[in-house]
Amino acid sequence: MTETAVSPALPRTNPRLALITWGALYFAARAVLESAETPWVRVAISLAPLPAFIWFLRDFIRGLRGLDELERRIQLEALAVAFPLTMVLIMTLGLVQVAIPLSLDDWSYRHIWPFLFVFYLAGLTLARRRYQ
Amino acid sequence: MKNRLKVLRAGKNWSQADLANALSVSRQTINAIETEKYDPSLPLAMKMARLFGEPVEQIFELES
Repeated sequence: MTETAVSPALPRTNPRLALITWGALYFAARAVLESAETPWVRVAISLAPLPAFIWFLRDFIRGLRGLDELERRIQLEALAVAFPLTMVLIMTLGLVQVAIPLSLDDWSYRHIWPFLFVFYLAGLTLARRRYQ
Repeated sequence: MKNRLKVLRAGKNWSQADLANALSVSRQTINAIETEKYDPSLPLAMKMARLFGEPVEQIFELES
């Protein structure tokens, strides 16, 4: 995205900073959860990264609105790859879980979210290559 | 959709970046339109037509 593609009327956004903050809070929460014992404290720690996620979502959507039409299409195609692939992964994992017992340490919801980023980046790469 | 954007741009001696600046889009968008990998929206096509002083149908042609 170039500077010229951004409308000057839109507020400044920093989705990368929000993403890093969200990620840092998530891993900090996971680390702290190892030692916290009181249930309400554990739940509070689990919810702690949510404000940073809301910040990220707000900046990401604002950033999308500031992109030019081709870049918006590229982002749409990236999400169109990532969303169904993640859905298939969750559904397949659910079926496998019904079929055989899976260890929560190997496969659980906390292992799935990184795949969303991998699928999104793969979709982004494919879409960018298509319009190069 | 075929287009004459590259020819028109060359006629004005503009780079892709110059045209992108004039239209408030990225250089990648101009390149994708010129190489016919991407068809612009109607507002962008009309902006181009206004910029080059030609009707939209003189710049873009629907392939049969």
